[in-house]
Amino acid sequence: MLEISDLCVEVAGKPVLDAIDLTLKPGEIHILLGPNGSGKSSLLATILGLPPYRITRGTIRLDNVPLADLPLQERARLGIGMAFQRPPGIDGVSVAAFAAALGAEDTLAREAAALDLVDFVRRDMNVGFSGGEIKRWEILKLFLQDPRLMLFDEPESGVDLEHVIAIGQAIRRIVSSPDGEGRPRAGLVITHTGLILRHVAADRAHVLKDGRILHSGDPATLFSHIQTHGYSVPDAA
Amino acid sequence: MDDLTTNPGGLTNAEKDILHEVGFADESTRAGTSILADRQMRVALSNDPGVEILPLAQALRTYDFVQGLMFGLVDPEENEHVRLVAEHMHDPLGHFIWIKPGAKVKLPVQSFTLLEIPQGRQFTHDITLIDEGAEVEMISGSAVPAEVCRGRHISIGETYMRANAKCTAVTVEHWGPEMEVYSYGYSRMEAGASFGSTAIMMSPIRHHTSRSVSVLGAGASVVSQSIVFAPEGTERVLASETRLTATGARSQDVTRMVSAGGTIVNDALLVGAAAGTEGFLGCDGLKLSDAGEIRAVPSLSALAEGAQLSHEASVGRIDGEKLTYLMASGMAEDAARDLIVRGFLRLSDEQIPEALRTRVVAMVAEAKSGGM
Repeated sequence: MLEISDLCVEVAGKPVLDAIDLTLKPGEIHILLGPNGSGKSSLLATILGLPPYRITRGTIRLDNVPLADLPLQERARLGIGMAFQRPPGIDGVSVAAFAAALGAEDTLAREAAALDLVDFVRRDMNVGFSGGEIKRWEILKLFLQDPRLMLFDEPESGVDLEHVIAIGQAIRRIVSSPDGEGRPRAGLVITHTGLILRHVAADRAHVLKDGRILHSGDPATLFSHIQTHGYSVPDAA
Repeated sequence: MDDLTTNPGGLTNAEKDILHEVGFADESTRAGTSILADRQMRVALSNDPGVEILPLAQALRTYDFVQGLMFGLVDPEENEHVRLVAEHMHDPLGHFIWIKPGAKVKLPVQSFTLLEIPQGRQFTHDITLIDEGAEVEMISGSAVPAEVCRGRHISIGETYMRANAKCTAVTVEHWGPEMEVYSYGYSRMEAGASFGSTAIMMSPIRHHTSRSVSVLGAGASVVSQSIVFAPEGTERVLASETRLTATGARSQDVTRMVSAGGTIVNDALLVGAAAGTEGFLGCDGLKLSDAGEIRAVPSLSALAEGAQLSHEASVGRIDGEKLTYLMASGMAEDAARDLIVRGFLRLSDEQIPEALRTRVVAMVAEAKSGGM
């Protein structure tokens, strides 16, 4: 589904990603691990097409469609969606109004209950939301958008344990369900705490450091290694 | 109705269609209806014993006290426009709406002004008396047919709210794009009266000056919001003065302005003239292009110790981060901008009736695409 090959990215002339290779198959969930500033969020932003990331080399393809020249909204329409880590508040635009703009009122009614967000529909998007509420809303937003490839930027940070379970279940549910056209989905998840691994059956994990993928492997094994030895290659530890 | 023409139910379907755009509903669903078209009171109708609606000229002859209300809040010599209206004092054009003491009016009272003659001139004077303890919801507006571009309208409105009266009001203005309009509104609120108002000024207009003066007595309160849009070629000058004259008077006045190339000047003065008064002025502007201007001038004047007054003013552009966030869900840039502008203007506010909200949302979309 997603094929990233030899991807190099810079921001204002400064390299942030270097020679990234990553392949995500339909139905898979991959985890991105790495210290702050390692390039995890930059990778998600580049896949989605957020400014100011500029590809200097390599390719990103979704279902064989090159993404590099497509603007943000075209990539979203192709089926890429992101749960933002720190989304902006949008005064005066309610969750219900946003869902209506996407034509997803029915989905909102159904999925808001599952994420314990029924009371949110009249609230302005991300305005006055707690950290945990933002994370749940971002997952709900993906249900409304119905993307095929989902990018989760630290979905569990700032969330209490009770809601980590709900978020984990929601991620698992949306990734394991087919999209509106019956096609399997896939997800790429950034985590610092690893809590999400208890609730999401991830297929593969990648450790990023200094803009490069240092190592890829089994998520649980890699996370356990990181807890003990830091962000290093297991064989070299 | 003497020499004045009133014709209950006499609106044509075309006129009703025009007025629907600014909030008109069938007279049977309203507690009262006042329609002024060109130089005639066309409808002055009440369905509620607590509501009396008369052409002002007739009210002056029917009730002696109305003479004391006319120019009770404004000097007929205040400026050239008020003088022009005052010249017709012997035969005024406008309504007298009286909500009787203690009346709890269940259905809204509606009043509208139509200017149907191209290049027409209209000088109107309306008086509204909401008597002691009365409660009412008012819907009012102005409209022109599509073929009327130019014209001149000058209006004076005097509103008296007696002790403990309550009123919520929505006003929607839709004049012709080349018109000149000068509207002057004066209100006096006695002890314990409360007023909640929403004014929507969205349509293109060459020039509109809107001046208002409100005087609040002990414990009286006003919560008002104005939603102002100026596409290219539109100039709107708003000047308001709110005077909190006795303990417990409170005022909250928020104006949200969007310029898509037009000019909006908002000059708001809040006066705390007694201890124990509290007031807030908010002026927020959103600039969508390099043309035109938004000028917000909130002023506070405290005349007594213990008057608590504050203001906030901001003017900015659409936040790129918000735009990107919405577009990341697949929205086109124009759709995302519309959603942000509508949010900024608080068009989902429950104080705006659903039918009007839909129309105003359409106005934003039309104005931004140059269709209005």
